[in-house]
Amino acid sequence: MPLAQTATTVPVVVNDDLCIADKGCTVCVDVCPLDVLRIAETAEGSKTAYMKYDECWYCMPCEADCPTGAVTVNLPYLLK
Amino acid sequence: MTVLFEDFNDIDDLAAGLNDPTPSGRIMAVIELADSADPAAIPYLAGAISDADAGVRKQAALALTDFDGPDTAAALVVALADSVQEVRDAAAVSLTELKEPAAGDALLPHLGSADEFTLVACLAGIKELRRPEAMEPAIAALEHPSPTVRMQAVGVIGWLQDPAALSALQKAAADVDVQVRRVALTALGFSRTEAAESALIAALSDPHWHPREAAAETLAKSGGAACVSHLRRALDDDYWQVRLKAVRSLGKLGAREAAMQIGPLISLDIPNLRKECAAVLGELAVPETRSFLAAFEHDSDPDVRKNVRWALARIDAAAA
Amino acid sequence: MDEIRDGIDQIDCDILIIGGGTAGPMAALKAKKKNPKANIILLDKANVKRSGAICMGMDGLNNSVIPGYATPEQYTKEITVANDGICDQAAVYRYAQECYGIIQELDSFGIRFQKDQNGEYDVKKVHHIGTYVLPMPNGDTVKKALYRQLRKARINIINRYMATRLLTGEGRVAGAICVNTRSAEFLVVRAKAVIMGLGAAGRLGLPTSGYLYGTYENASNSGEGYAMAYHAGAGLANLECYQINPLIKDYNGPACAYVAGPMGGYTANARGERFIECDYWSGQMMQEFFDELQGGKGPVYLKLNHLAEETVAEIERVLHIVERPTRGHFHRGRGTDYRKQMIEMHISEIGFCSGHSASGVFVDEHARTTIPGLYAAGDMANVPHNYMLGAFTHGAFAGEDAADYVAEMDFAAFDQADIEAERTRVLAPTKREDGIPPNQIEYKTRRLVNDYLQPPKVTAKMHLAQKRFAEVREDMENAMYVRDAHELMRALEASSILDCADMAAAASLYRTESRWGLYHNRVEYERDDENWFCHTILTKGDDGMPASRKQDVKPYVVDIAEDEKDAYAKQRVKPSVAAE
Ligand SMILES: Cc1cc2nc3c(=O)[nH]c(=O)nc-3n(C[C@H](O)[C@H](O)[C@H](O)COP(=O)(O)OP(=O)(O)OC[C@H]3O[C@@H](n4cnc5c(N)ncnc54)[C@H](O)[C@@H]3O)c2cc1C
Ligand code: SF4
Ligand code: SF4
Repeated sequence: MPLAQTATTVPVVVNDDLCIADKGCTVCVDVCPLDVLRIAETAEGSKTAYMKYDECWYCMPCEADCPTGAVTVNLPYLLK
Repeated sequence: MTVLFEDFNDIDDLAAGLNDPTPSGRIMAVIELADSADPAAIPYLAGAISDADAGVRKQAALALTDFDGPDTAAALVVALADSVQEVRDAAAVSLTELKEPAAGDALLPHLGSADEFTLVACLAGIKELRRPEAMEPAIAALEHPSPTVRMQAVGVIGWLQDPAALSALQKAAADVDVQVRRVALTALGFSRTEAAESALIAALSDPHWHPREAAAETLAKSGGAACVSHLRRALDDDYWQVRLKAVRSLGKLGAREAAMQIGPLISLDIPNLRKECAAVLGELAVPETRSFLAAFEHDSDPDVRKNVRWALARIDAAAA
Repeated sequence: MDEIRDGIDQIDCDILIIGGGTAGPMAALKAKKKNPKANIILLDKANVKRSGAICMGMDGLNNSVIPGYATPEQYTKEITVANDGICDQAAVYRYAQECYGIIQELDSFGIRFQKDQNGEYDVKKVHHIGTYVLPMPNGDTVKKALYRQLRKARINIINRYMATRLLTGEGRVAGAICVNTRSAEFLVVRAKAVIMGLGAAGRLGLPTSGYLYGTYENASNSGEGYAMAYHAGAGLANLECYQINPLIKDYNGPACAYVAGPMGGYTANARGERFIECDYWSGQMMQEFFDELQGGKGPVYLKLNHLAEETVAEIERVLHIVERPTRGHFHRGRGTDYRKQMIEMHISEIGFCSGHSASGVFVDEHARTTIPGLYAAGDMANVPHNYMLGAFTHGAFAGEDAADYVAEMDFAAFDQADIEAERTRVLAPTKREDGIPPNQIEYKTRRLVNDYLQPPKVTAKMHLAQKRFAEVREDMENAMYVRDAHELMRALEASSILDCADMAAAASLYRTESRWGLYHNRVEYERDDENWFCHTILTKGDDGMPASRKQDVKPYVVDIAEDEKDAYAKQRVKPSVAAE
């Protein structure tokens, strides 16, 4: 049974201008209880955090602990 | 193999990151120092409070929440005068987390600060440290034009529970600001003197319900026979919140003469008040109130019926 | 990160604590304090810094027993009555006696509890003759303060490993098998004692939003604690007493009666009328809530719009800052202003959680399970209505008892084949070329839970559930497919969820009476004290299927008078009061 490519929007948004993942910051990735955030390379070759898995409890440690205010937690579309 | 344990790194190694040329690198160092929970990190974090970058300074102010003592407090006081509001706010919050009385050493010199923000934060910080030396400057701060300052000053005085400060609190209980009056009335609760009681009685006629509620509640602690008639009058207050506290206080004061007046309140459609009335009628255990209670023995509100049954049992036990 | 790596490591410790949420950290601190030489490991699937139900903080203690405000006897009575009498009181009574000491200890960690202007505790009167709710003004710093203590005590912390099975041998616990959630590497921890604090089974039912993670409980608590205890042979008590809570619809967070109630907020029907008198969460209360919705008088609301502006502002301040801060975002997004509109509420999905009901791994007043050396505390252990302070306090009991236990114990020998078998089970979904992803297995299980297990409980429906679950299990065991280590974590969770679903069905079928209001409303049966005034204990049977038996309720420590027993029954407002 092959897998499909169904799209889904994710609730957590990271402002990559503010994100300092370049400097080794992984605070939001570390604190997420559901472990759904990851660090990725941007088009310009720097790094930024992003939401990789749509499995969010909208609990907010990622936003509260980010040292630069780069993370915004929105409510998952299905329940907002 | 993936790293297993969280590490306990050497503080000096972590602190080396504070020399990183980029602010973000230094922020990371601050975060790691905070996670160490090792007091050896305090001097480094105190240094970061004067970093050139506001983001680093803010992170350092937040990080100091994890530490205590005079050096931590001193660094936070520096941050209270920062040019950036976010840094100042972070420092003010961290100051309220101090627990060690010795940390107050760094705050005492600033309790007369001309800067309102610093003054409010230092008063808030020293409150829970209960330093007797804070009394005098706190009393002086009651004259401050800002109600926020006056409110914090009342807090400091109230926590010290020193009878010498009664007249200051009494004055604050008549402050022009509603919230200052409210906290000052609550702060009087440690004193069972006539002075405290009369200030609280006067406040039962305050134009705003918050001070009336605080006064009605605090009379349970500070009041004696003299306040009973006033509390009974408060049973007719426009706000159920005030009536509820009056009921509660009359119960605590054992004011059996008020029981027949409390009895009818149990049939009002205000659930919180009904529960309280039933409990207090039980505490007072006046046989004549039995009929008020008996009507609600099978009430649909579980709290009411539980309290009613308890009250009836007390009345019957007292009669037997 | 996330690519599957082959690896296995083995380490030893005296006490392994699984779950670093609420109960776990306290167990670690207490064990270390009592036995500073003991080698203690605190292991969590997430990161201890921000894991578990209290990851963002808490509004307050729901069940503090503070001298002068409530007595241990009164508290024990309340809890017994709220659980229809099915309660071994010793654990509740010990909690009630010792929790004040824990409050003071938490206070010394820097966790603030509301004090009045003289620095004395300011306990809010809520639901009983006694007074139990103690607000936490800086509740958002709970986890930070705990973490700081763990670091100071130099507790060994292992993050991002999920425990999947316990090891046993010589009739006692021998350790646990764990899997890294980002690399799928194995870690075998040999331990003389194991303390479990893995939280609730929060992903059992499916929320009405359909979002798998839109649960009441922290969604990382997926029921491994129950599944591990079950497979190790421990007894689980009263699993048919589900957790069901009245929540803000769609948002699925607490509304929250404990904050708003004392200030005059209440639950109302579509006409804005009260229909239940007591907002204290209980099975009876949920039954009334359910009836109102079924009776066409819904939606059900939390009503605050009759309150004074100052009061609403105060409620907003508390509810929107700590615990579930996105609550404020949610209302803003919907344009709900507490001053103007009522807040729509709904019934949560079902789960297992003693924190709010009474089911879980059976423990005594020392937090000991039925397996020597194995402890459980917090939401997954069966001490009723335990909430946060219960997790802390019973975590402390477990830590202290385990510290003594390991002093005179050596490692139990276990069968190496158990490790190989677990490796094969865990890695099976990684060995396939394609198949069914874990989210579909999970969705189907949980959808079936809603269809067939959600009360009111009907025998025929529960039999159907068992049949469907067996089909899903067949698919899970033979066709589940994952592409990376993260998905493997979800696959293992799907398996725990299915185990819990099977246990929920079996336990509910076994108790042929109705009890605990909506929690175990079996429509074909009335309450039957003669035959069912007892615990039910579920274990793994010899055939590998759940087996249930009755167990006597221990003689009460605190007597309950006859007329106190209906304290939580009959909660419907009389028509005259509701002004119909
Ligand atoms: C939204 C909400 C609001 C609440 N409000 C209040 C309140 O106001 N007052 C109150 O007193 N109580 C409240 N409670 C209840 C209280 O928070 C809980 O009862 C208590 O925190 C439970 O503690 P615990 O240790 O059992 O579980 P948790 O604190 O949830 O910890 C469980 C831990 O186990 C870890 N874990 C799970 N599975 C695994 C695995 N397989 N391997 C390793 N680790 C694992 C998790 O990551 C987590 O860290 C609330 C609960 C919720 C969900
Ligand atoms: S915490 Fe903030 S800065 Fe750090 S990686 Fe995440 S988004 Fe970037
Ligand atoms: S809101 Fe919570 S679950 Fe969602 S990404 Fe942030 S920390 Fe993770």
